[in-house]
Amino acid sequence: MDSQINKETKVIDGQALFSGSNRHRADDSEQAWIAQAKQGSQSAFYQLYEKHHRQIYALCWRMLADKDSAEDVCQEVFVVLWQKINNFRGESKFSTWLHSVATNVVLGHLRKHKNWIQRVFSIEDQGPNLAEPSVDLTDDSTLTILDQHIARLPERARLVFVLFAVEGYRHEEISKMLKMAVGSSKSQYHRARNLLKESLTASDFISIDEELNHE
Amino acid sequence: MSKHMPQERIISNNEVSDKVLAEQIAKLPNEMTPERDLWSGIERAINHKAQEIPKLKQSNIFVPSAWAASIAMVMLVSWFTFSPSINEKGSPALVKTQKESSVTQGQLVAFMQENFQQQKQTLLVSYGQPTVDNLPQAMQKELKQLADARESIRKALLTDENNADLLNLLDFTQQQELKLLQQLYRQYQVI
Repeated sequence: MDSQINKETKVIDGQALFSGSNRHRADDSEQAWIAQAKQGSQSAFYQLYEKHHRQIYALCWRMLADKDSAEDVCQEVFVVLWQKINNFRGESKFSTWLHSVATNVVLGHLRKHKNWIQRVFSIEDQGPNLAEPSVDLTDDSTLTILDQHIARLPERARLVFVLFAVEGYRHEEISKMLKMAVGSSKSQYHRARNLLKESLTASDFISIDEELNHE
Repeated sequence: MSKHMPQERIISNNEVSDKVLAEQIAKLPNEMTPERDLWSGIERAINHKAQEIPKLKQSNIFVPSAWAASIAMVMLVSWFTFSPSINEKGSPALVKTQKESSVTQGQLVAFMQENFQQQKQTLLVSYGQPTVDNLPQAMQKELKQLADARESIRKALLTDENNADLLNLLDFTQQQELKLLQQLYRQYQVI
């Protein structure tokens, strides 16, 4: 195992590699980091973390709609990645494989932490809770307006929407992940889309967007 | 990641259309930055897990050894519980040899015991004369139980003449003890 990692140096090195125009060089670096991480190098693993954690955090945040949970689960994803990195055979892009690992970790987290009332009474989400949204739409200016509205979707509709529309999974894949019928995945997606359009319309999104574009 | 674009639909006024929604989805940032530093927790967790691995390996080693010893113990208990009668027709090779060569059972047991001790000694020498005391307590206990069982069978054979099954059980127990010793010392060569 590597000794203590000098984060400042690593970040600077990482940025230097990725700010360059040579994409192949960055890809080669990533392949080298993966190979080193497989051998137990924590500094190489840190480079992989540094390159990918913001994307993974975005995935976690969108699926969980909660900042603290997203941070915790994002950490869990990288701990799992450290344990499973030897399973990566290079048959797909590393980022694609990592996203699938992350998706599974998030879904596992949701299953583990599902409210016991929901388990007992099989309560599916009853529509967006507009009176008491899970995310205060004014509390995080760093989020896009659409992200703020996605966070207010009912859980199942939100998961399907994020996996299909944002992550690019097919309904067949989503149905397996979420243990639901393909038709249910499609209907949840349409439900999510309609809810989003309704809530965006209600918040006068187009006027706001036009104003922002004029600025 | 690819993004699925819903079909366009005609809209009026400020109603958000499928097209607008699709545009907004396409504009979603791929990255978000967590507020707190996540790496320190990840680093702590992976270092903690790295320390756990040797412990896990140790317990994985123990399982087959314990199973082997347990199987032997179950066979012994079954033997003493059900006290099988001598089956002349089914006499195993050891007994046939004994009968053909007119060697007494006592002599044969003594020979088997001597042979076992020699094999055990050879095995211990090959691992640099290790001491059992340095093995984990649980394994020492398994080995002791197996040795005790072997000794019980040996004593029972001295009073039970022409018991072919018991004779073979002694042979089986000795072999199990040797196998278990070999397995343990191979895994704990540092001892």
